[in-house]
Parts: sequence; C-alpha cells; structure tokens
Amino acid sequence: MSGADVATTTARAPRRPEPSRARRAVRAARRVPGVVTASVVVLAGVAVLVVLPLAHGSALDQDIVLGTTPAGTPGHPLGTDALGRDVLALTLAGARSAVLGPLVVALGSMLLGALLGTLAGYREGAVDAVVSRYVDLTLAMPALLLAIVVAGVVGGGYWVTVLVLVVLFSPGDVRLVRTAVLQQKHRPYIEATRVLGLSGPRVMARHVFPNVRPLLLTSFFLNIAYAIVAMSGLSFLGLGVSAGAADWGRQLADGREILYDNPAASVVPGLAIIVVATAVNVVGDWLSERLDTGMSELAEGSVPA
Amino acid sequence: MSVLAFVGRRVAALAAMLVVLSFLVFALLYLAPGDLVHSLLGARAVTPQAEAAIRAQYHLDDPFWVQYLRWLGAALHGDFGTSVRTGTPVAQMLEGRVGVTVTLAAIAGVLAVGVGVPLGVRAARRRGSFEDRAITSASVVGVSAPGFAVGLVLLYVFAVMLGWFPLYGVGDGGLDRLWHLALPAAALAVGVGALVVKVTRTAVLRELDQDYVTFARSRGLSGARVLRLYLRGAAVPIVTSVGLVLASLVGGSILVETTFALPGLGVLLADSITFKDVPVVQAVTLLLATFIGVTTAVVDLFANLADPRVRRAAVAR
Amino acid sequence: MSAFVEVDDLRVTAGDAPILPGVTLRVEAGTTLGIVGESGSGKSMLVKALTGLLPRGVTATGSYRLGGTEVDLGGSDRAWRRIRGSRVVLVLQDPFTSLDPLRRCGTQILDSAPGGRRSRAERRADVARRLAEVGLPEHVADQYPHELSGGMRQRVAIAAALASEPEILVADEPTTALDVTTQRSILDLLAELQASRGMTLVLITHDLRLAQERCDDLAVMYAGTVVETGPADQVFTSPAHPYTRALHDAIPPVDARLDRMPTVAGSVPAATDAPGCPFAPRCPLAQERCSTDPVRLGPLGSAGEREVACLVVGETVAGHPSTGPDVPPVEPADAASRSDTSASEAPSVGPADGAKPALLRVDGLVKQFRGATARALDGVSLEVRAGESVGIVGESGSGKTTLARCVVGLERPDEGSVRVLGRDGPVNPGPRDVQIVFQDPYSALNPALSIGAMLAEAASVAPPGAHRRTVGELLRLVGLPEHYARRRPARLSGGERQRVAIARALAPAPRLLVCDESVSALDVSVQAQVLNLLADLRDELGLALLFISHDLAVVRQITDRVHVMRSGRVVESGPTETVLAAPQHPYTRALLASVPGAVLVPVLQEEPA
Repeated sequence: MSGADVATTTARAPRRPEPSRARRAVRAARRVPGVVTASVVVLAGVAVLVVLPLAHGSALDQDIVLGTTPAGTPGHPLGTDALGRDVLALTLAGARSAVLGPLVVALGSMLLGALLGTLAGYREGAVDAVVSRYVDLTLAMPALLLAIVVAGVVGGGYWVTVLVLVVLFSPGDVRLVRTAVLQQKHRPYIEATRVLGLSGPRVMARHVFPNVRPLLLTSFFLNIAYAIVAMSGLSFLGLGVSAGAADWGRQLADGREILYDNPAASVVPGLAIIVVATAVNVVGDWLSERLDTGMSELAEGSVPA
Repeated sequence: MSVLAFVGRRVAALAAMLVVLSFLVFALLYLAPGDLVHSLLGARAVTPQAEAAIRAQYHLDDPFWVQYLRWLGAALHGDFGTSVRTGTPVAQMLEGRVGVTVTLAAIAGVLAVGVGVPLGVRAARRRGSFEDRAITSASVVGVSAPGFAVGLVLLYVFAVMLGWFPLYGVGDGGLDRLWHLALPAAALAVGVGALVVKVTRTAVLRELDQDYVTFARSRGLSGARVLRLYLRGAAVPIVTSVGLVLASLVGGSILVETTFALPGLGVLLADSITFKDVPVVQAVTLLLATFIGVTTAVVDLFANLADPRVRRAAVAR
Repeated sequence: MSAFVEVDDLRVTAGDAPILPGVTLRVEAGTTLGIVGESGSGKSMLVKALTGLLPRGVTATGSYRLGGTEVDLGGSDRAWRRIRGSRVVLVLQDPFTSLDPLRRCGTQILDSAPGGRRSRAERRADVARRLAEVGLPEHVADQYPHELSGGMRQRVAIAAALASEPEILVADEPTTALDVTTQRSILDLLAELQASRGMTLVLITHDLRLAQERCDDLAVMYAGTVVETGPADQVFTSPAHPYTRALHDAIPPVDARLDRMPTVAGSVPAATDAPGCPFAPRCPLAQERCSTDPVRLGPLGSAGEREVACLVVGETVAGHPSTGPDVPPVEPADAASRSDTSASEAPSVGPADGAKPALLRVDGLVKQFRGATARALDGVSLEVRAGESVGIVGESGSGKTTLARCVVGLERPDEGSVRVLGRDGPVNPGPRDVQIVFQDPYSALNPALSIGAMLAEAASVAPPGAHRRTVGELLRLVGLPEHYARRRPARLSGGERQRVAIARALAPAPRLLVCDESVSALDVSVQAQVLNLLADLRDELGLALLFISHDLAVVRQITDRVHVMRSGRVVESGPTETVLAAPQHPYTRALLASVPGAVLVPVLQEEPA
C-alpha cells in the first residue's frame, strides 16, 4: 500500500473469502440464453447482407409509373415507396449503410481510445493532463447535437459523418482505457513487473492491456449500437447519405409522406433499425457480463449521449 | 484549499468548455463549403454591391478573432444576427419556437424520470427475477430504438390506424397542445427513459451490495427506511447522469420534432441546416449546448458537495 | 432474559448446490459462543442464515429456536424484521463500510432505537449515553464515519447495533480489519457490554486463540458443518477432532520458535452432500469408513459438555466416568521440534560477526509523502547479511511497508541510501537481486495471464550465470503440481496464489526476498504451510529474508533478528529470541501484550524437554 500510512488504514487487507460458491451458483441461474442466440443470428444475417452484393442490384430500380403500392401487392410483398422501389429489397439493401459506418466508428473510437488512453495512463504528467482536459471537454458537449450540426453544415456525405462520430465517440474510450491503465499501475501484479525490471512498453502490452481488452470489446459493441442509432438519425434528417441511396433512416424520412398509402415503407426500416441495434446491445451486454474480471464498472459512462 | 476553491475550479472548467464551444460554433461559418459570401447571401443575387454590403455587415475583412469576439459579444446580448433564409432577426425566430421544444422536452423528461427511476429501482431490488429481466430487456430495446423510429411506429399505430391522436401540428394551447404533444413526448421518453432505467438500476445495485445496507437490515430497520438509505446513496450517480439525460433529450427532440412536424427549435435547426442558414444554426446550437453544459455542471457540483466525503477531501487538499 | 439459542440441522443451499450441509448449535443465555473456521468453512453464511440476510436464490431449512420460539428460516422479510434488531443483531467485519457514509454517526446510532417521538434534546442525550457506553466522547455524534479511525468506527457500529436492545449480538470477525492493539480494546468492550446488558454473544472468527481467550464455548466449523463443540478452554487445550487439533497446531506460538510448523496438506474443500467426513482426505487418523459412513456430532466423554463429529475419536473415547474429556491434552508444542533457544545456538548474526558481507544496507532512510503530516520513514538503518532472516515488526503507520518498497525500488527515499551488494540504490531497474512477495494473494497475480506465462517471463530476467529454472522446477520448488502452469489465477486458492507469487519472486534467482505481510492474509493453516515453505527455501537456496509483519508470533518463527518500528523509526532491535522474550521498549511490550493468548502464556508454558 503506497502512500502515507494513516491511522485510518487497516493493519492488513480485509480477509477475502474464497470466491463465494454460493454467489456463483446464483449467478448461473440467471442467464437468458435464448435472447443472446437470437441476437447472434440476427447479426449473422446482417453480416451476410452487408457482404453479399445480390441484395443491392435491383433495390434501387425506380418505377415512377407504379408509384406507391401497399404491402401484399403481387411481386412486392411489402409494397413500394413513392418512387416505385420495392420496400423489401430496399430494406435489405439498406443493411450495408446501416452497419458499415457504425462499424468503422466503433473501430476508430477503439483504436484512438487505446492509443491515447494508454499514452495518458502510462506517461501521466503533462501528457495525461492534456489528454484528460480534451476528453473532459468533449464529453461535456452534447454529441448528437454537435454531430447533426457539424455534419449538416460541413456536408460531405456518409464518410464525413463517420469521421465526425469517431471524434465524438473516442473520448469515451480514451477515458475507459486511461482509467483501466491507471488503476492497474498500482496493483501488486504490475508492481511486481517493475521489481522484476521489465520494461515499460512490455509491461503495458503483455500485462496491462490484456485486462483492458475485454472492456474495450464491450465498449466496441455498445458504440456500434449507438452509432447505428446516431447515423440513422442523421440520414433521417437528410444529412450524411445521398438522396437516392439505400438507407433505413432515409427510407423512414421518405416513407413519412406515404404513411397512409404504404406504412410498411417506413415502419419496416424503422423496425429494422430497432432490431439490429438491440441485437448488438444484447451481445454487448452479454459480453460485459461474461468478461467480468472485476473491472467492468469502468465500461459504464464510456458511451456518449 | 477551501470548498470555495473547489467550486472555483469547476466553474473555471465550465467556462473553458463554453469558450471552446462558442468558438467551434462560430467557426462553423468558415467550415461551410463554398464561398463564405455566397453562404451568407443565401438565395439572393450575387452582385458586387450585395457582396460589399455583406462584407460590411458581417465585418468579414476583420481578423478572425475580432470577428469571433464581436459575434460573441452580440450573442451575449441576445443578438444573433439575421437569418439568411428569412431575413428576420434570429432572436425573433427563436422566441416562438422555444416554448414548443421546452414543453415537449419537459413532458418527455418528466415521463422518462418519473417512470424510469422507479422501474430501475424495482429491477435492482428484484435482481435476477423475471421482473428484472423484463425491465432490463425493455430498457435495452429502448436504448436501441431511436426516437424517430419509435415516433413513426407510434404515429402509424395511434394516429393513422387508430386515429386516437392527431397526425401533425402543435395544437392551440392547453389541453389541445397536450393532446398533440402526447405521441412525440412518448416517443422521446422511450429512449431517454431507457437510459434512466439503466443508470438507476446500476446505481441501486451497487448500493444494495454495500455493507451499510446489510447492517441496516440486520438492525431491523423497516423496508421503507432501508430503501431511503440506499436511494440516498444511489442518488448521486443518478443525479449526475443528468448531463447524459439532457443531451439525449435535446438530440432526440430534434428528430422527434421532425417526425411530427412540430414548430420547435429542433425543426428550426434541421431546416436551417438544410438551407445552410448559418446564423440560425449558430444561435440554436450555442443556446442548446450552453444550456446543457451549464445545467450539467451546476447539478454535478451540487451533487458532489452533498457528499460529505467529497467536502472533506476538498477541504483537506 | 433468556436467549437460549438452538439450531438443529440447519441446511443452506443455493439451488442444488449445498453450502451448509447441516449445522447444529447451542448457545446458553448470557454466554459467549465462538464459531471458529477458516475461509470456506461457511461461517459467514451461517450467520446470514441466522439473521435472515441470505442473498437471493439461497435458502435455509431446518430448526432454529430462540428462547423456545421457533423462527421460520424461510420467512418473509416482515417476519424477520420482528427478530432482527430486537432479538438478534449482526455486527459486520469491516467498520469502514458498515456505516452509512452520508450521515452523521449520531443519527445512525439512533436508527433502530425504540420509542416514538422525542425532542431533540432527548435524542442528543440518548446518543451521548450510548456513545459513552462504547467509550466514545459526545462530539463523535456530529462526525461522519470517514472522519473516524477504524477502532472508533467499530465502536459506533456496536453502539448502533445495541440501540434496539437486542438479546443476542452476533459479531462477524469484528476485529480482523483492525490493528492488534485496537482489537484488544474492542474485544474488551464487547465483553463489558455483554456483562452489563446480560446479552448473549456469538463471535465469528478464524482465530482459535482469540476464540479461546474471549469465549465461553466454541464450535469449530469445517466445509459447512460443525465438527466439534465444547467449553472453549477444553477444546483449545485438548482438541478432539483432528481438524481442530491441526488448527491448534498451526498457530505459531509467540513464546517459542519451532523448527517446522506442524501442518496438514491441502485446504478447506467445498461443502458437499456426499456421505462421509469432509476432513477425511486430509486427516491423519482417517480410516476407510470415514469416507463412506455418515458422520454426525456425537457426545464426547460423559460430562456432556463436548461433542465431536468423528468416527475414530468418538469411539476411542467412549464413556469414561470422569469429569473432564478423555482426550490427551496437546503439548504447547511438540517438545522435540522446538529449537533450543539458548543464545549460543542462535544463528550467528550478531553485529559483531563481520565475516559475512552485507547483502543489503539501508542507511538513514527518510521519506515523507506529499500531503502527509508526518514522515513515513524517519531515519531508518538496518542490514541484512547473506542467508540471514531479518524481521520488521510494526502496526499500520509504522512505515514498514514504505521501507519494503524503498528496498525493492518501488519508492525513492528523500534521504538516505539503499545498497545491495555494495551497489547503490535505487535497486530497480537494475540487478534482480532483491524481489518481493506482497500481502494480498488476490491482487498479486495478473488475472489475464496463465501461471506458466508469468513464471517463464520472470525466469527470463535472471542474470546470466545464475541458476535459471524452468517453470516446472519453480512450481515444484513451491510445492505445486506442474500442470498448474496452464491455469489462470482465478482457479487457485489464496494459499496457492501466494505460492505462485513466491515462485515468481524466486524465478530471477534473487539473493534477498522481501516478504511484506506475505502470510497475513492467509488462513492460519495455510499460513503454517507457507511459513514452512519459506523456511525450506531459505535453507535450500541460501536465501536471505526481510520479513515484514505485524504478527509477533509469525516473526518469531521465521526470523533471526528483528527490528520493531513505530512512526517511521526503529525503536528496538536485536536477536528475535531476545527481543520477544524480554522486550525493553515499552512499545514492544505493549505489542507483545496485545497478542491473543499472550496473557495466558505464562500459565500454559511448559519447560522444554
């Protein structure tokens, strides 16, 4: 125990019982395997849709003459939208836009977080001060609002939006990693590596990071879910995605006008967003419980508004 | 260091954040693609006279930081310039709209907190039970469902299919307004409420695990008294999440207002963005972000000062 | 007030998994019962079952009678609230967390006080009275828990517990988290309160010696069952059950040094419903039927005061018409295993012996932490020679941990020097001649790495020319099976983890091992095993030890010389035998007097053969 030995500190560590067998038994009874499996299935399906080009070919074919038709029209099980596009095909094609950007956002945020967080936690001092101020500042600002404003004013389309979101999401991961690194630095198992004379970078990589990885993984999934919601919101407002592209947010916006004629045109992509985002969240939550090495409290508070 | 200095540090941090924010917002003008003058002229004809007039009006020939300070000074007086799109003073445009957004956000906020906190507490108390799993699952879906998607579904089911609620518009004050805002507020409350449930449940779970709760129970304190004890303990993390809640409300209301075509700040912002009406965008963003930032900082400060351990640490430093 | 407690065949399960296969107890009104058990014995669960505080998913069945009335173990919270507080109250182990940090102490004490509306003045008076009862001044009422020391907090907690005027006070390891000197005062307080209030006291502890000193009766628990009961003195001096005997033997005596601590291999297993005695696999007296035949608590001797759950012992001592138990008393320590305490036999390490070179030299070490009011180290000097074992004794705040950290290079001293083998400190990064074993086995190992990976890496930093051991060799060196190399720390018990920590420290072939309270967090039987291990390693490898501890008895077993520290200074030094047999400094005397059993030492001491 470093630091001044004050009269209020204990003579020895409170006796910790062996991992309570009772507690473990109780926990095991609470799992809901069905939901997690379902989520994984959903995600697998989405992955297929993203990768395979077959869904995208005919999706954008317009048929102005046909116009809006309700669900159940022969050849169009979910009807068509105002431009005569088949709703089902369009929705399937929209999977790519719904998921790819968020994936990149989460990846970018994770990488930035790992980099800056490790730097700040390892070096401390001035480097940490700068990084922390930056993180505090960015996290204090309302993310969605800023995303909308910047993406809207600057324009630039889908990938600019992705970049903006990476900048807005990364401070959360930076803080996560920084806290995890700082906490571990003073733990006996890390101090032991100092006494063994192991070099700093080696300790970071082989000893500290393995305990940070699970936190980042959980955050990764949560970030994807939030990014899906954020990006679909942006495209709903007409920002980010170009007008004719297959995108769920866009479909929602377009479908609003023909709500009476073919509600499926907006309800179906709306449900698609909800289902996919939920599936990602479920997997993320499940991971967070599985990988509980005692540092899971840090995972909260890392996701922006 | 005294409590005063502790507060002082927080205030300084807030001030720094606001300065950076205002700077960013101001710089938006320059981030917009295309010629600055053309952006400011909007739909009007581009003639040399018009250009010169714009240059003079916006002091575009002054150095950057001077322009910034001038803009900031005016903003602090409530003068946000003139809308590029409509030509009317921005402040005037905001006036009418603020009411709608505030009402919407307030109803949704009250709903979200009023339902979310009790649900979160209940889920935590009955951890592992069916109730807990149901509430938690619902909150996971709620957090994943963007306000506009939920809004659309609600719109379809309750306005189109069942016809119980009006489709668009904001109504004529009083009960009519409430009726019009019911669906949008519900849509907004779902996402925010789910967030509140999550935060509350986590905070309460943590308190329930604490020894002082076990000790209180072992002394025979009634269920209600024990509840009050650990709710007090959980209050700080719940209350300090107000920042997230507000940000969620603001972001969400922009989307929900658009879905329901309500004449609020959110729609104003969205339209102004589409039309590149920069002065309006700047004004709305600055207003909203400042409001969130200040509220969060103030609430955070009070919550922390309410904890005697923090007070002591502040004094001891 | 009769608070006659009867527990019969209390079973606790979590779903299908048994936690307490069956507990039977008796507590006489107005007496103190000590429940003794090591980690995993189930004593905490027992206590929770008796106060209706079991976690969700864990259920208790069986018979539980208080003062003749049956208590429904599966009752609703409302039903339990009639029992909790007014009849039974639980005081928890950690005073740092059992009080509400957000409210003042005075308010908390009155939480469960009976009586309706009272004026402010009346309440204040009541609080003052209750504070005085636990030996605290009135102004504590206005303070917050975090403003008080550990001992004071525990007193407040006790006052709060007594506010509802309970008949039975159950204290779960009430002093484990406190300093040795504070422990004594808290236990004295409990004894006073019991007498003045006529309460029944149930004391849960892992410390057999403490239980004997403070309790009228004892119940020893193992793997979720009670294996022996009886009057405390008798159980302690003449333990019947082989486990109790092993527990007794593992206690390091403060008045003598043993060559080896008597131990039993293995550790406490999980509770199971399987037939037979849970201790059989480790028992030196075990017979075949011990693993197959049901074992229950049965009377021992004819006086009717003692019971034991053992087929072998119970039989040997069948009904003798005598007043006391017929179990032969335990020798204070096996006479043959005592080392001769005469000075000429003591390992030659007096300062006069300059033949061996100094491995470690610490000169005038001074260290003050930023923000601290006092110095952590205020001019400390000492020496450790090759192969020597030097002890540092002190309580929290003495600076002993800071000293250890300076020696291994984790802290840089403000003044003074640390020299290893003549080379200037700070020691690390640099030669790996000094390594450290920390106190807490649960945070000493990286949860993400396998044991093998950890040890291999540690071995790789051994200096060229030194004996570089393989992972397998290291594991064998500390008495662990080789296949443990594939495991992660989460699957190892506390004792096993500490062994791995020792192996890791030995991997780079150091000349000096610093042990910072390395056995303090271990159960007494595991502690004995590890002490033997350290002694063996010292003999086999010629390792020097700098052994830091607050426990004088432990220090006596493993060190040749000792320094007593207080407030950053060394107040007394000398050969361990001399200092502990005849302490000069008043502080050393006070420390010695606080050791449980110290008071009784003169009574039990026997002349060595």
